[in-house]
Amino acid sequence: MAIEPGMSLPPLKVDFVSPETMKAWAPILEDPNPIHLDREVVRAKGLGDRLINQGPINLSYIINMLQAALPGGFIESISNRFVDNVYEGDALEAGATVTTVARSGDTVRVACDFTLKAEERDIVITGTAVVELPAAVFDALG
Amino acid sequence: MTIPELPDVVGHSLDGANYVISAEQNRTLCHSLGVEPDAGGKAHPVYFYIATQVGMGETVAGLCALCNFDVEDGPMMGTCDVTYFRPLMTGEPYRVRGRILGLTRKRSRKLGIMDLVEYQLHLDLPDGTRACSVTNSWILPRGHEDGN
Repeated sequence: MAIEPGMSLPPLKVDFVSPETMKAWAPILEDPNPIHLDREVVRAKGLGDRLINQGPINLSYIINMLQAALPGGFIESISNRFVDNVYEGDALEAGATVTTVARSGDTVRVACDFTLKAEERDIVITGTAVVELPAAVFDALG
Repeated sequence: MTIPELPDVVGHSLDGANYVISAEQNRTLCHSLGVEPDAGGKAHPVYFYIATQVGMGETVAGLCALCNFDVEDGPMMGTCDVTYFRPLMTGEPYRVRGRILGLTRKRSRKLGIMDLVEYQLHLDLPDGTRACSVTNSWILPRGHEDGN
C-alpha cells in the first residue's frame, strides 16, 4: 500500500519497560539520578512506587518505530513534547500518522505526527518528524 | 516560600568537549532496545541527545544551578527538537557547542510557578561541518505561592 497522507505507520510495541534497560543506560547518559534506579527514592519523592524511565529511552522507541516503518530513510528532524513519565512495567505503543508526502527530484520527504502512548494511561510523548528517503526506496515501500 | 529571582543567563555558553560515540557503547545501546547496530558505522540517532547532554559544558545539575534551581527539586523535560544534517557516526569526534536561549517564568495550574529554560546545542565535526542541532527546554517547578 502506498504511503500517503492520513496513513498510519506500523506501530512499535514495547511490552514491558525494563529496569534493566534503565540500569544499562545510566552510565551511557552519565545520569546517576536515583529515580531511574532506586524505588525507595521514587517513593521518598512522592513520585509513586515504580522506577521512572529515562526520557531519551522513550525517544528511542519513537526513532525505532520511524526506522522500522521507513527503512532506508534518513530522519531529518524530530520535535518532541514530553507530556508524562514512563514507568517500569509500562506497556507502550509508538505510532505515527503521515501528514505530507513531498517528492522533489530523487528524494521524497515523509512528514508525520507521532505519539508514544502508555497502556492504561495516555500519551506520554507527542511530536512531529520528517524522514527523507531516496525516491526509489520510497517507491519500493509502496 | 521564597522563589528566587530569575538570573540573567541568556547567552551563557554551553560549549563543551569533544564527544566520541564508541562502537561498543552504541552496540550496547542498540541491543538494549532490541535492534541491531548499523553495520556501516552509523550510530543510533538518539545519540543526538546523549552526545549533546553529556558533552555540553555544564552538567544538568550545573545548568539548573545557573538558573537558581536545585536539581534535587526535580527538573522535567519539556520539549526537545533536533535537526540532523548528516547521520551520526561512531568513532567521530564531535565538538559540542551551545548556549542558553532563554529563561522565563510562567504559571501553571498544576505546577504553580515554574521556570522554563531553553538551550541550544550543536554537534560539529572537526572541520566545522554541523551534524545536528538540538533545542531543549526544561521545566523547573518552583511550587505554588502558598507553599504547596
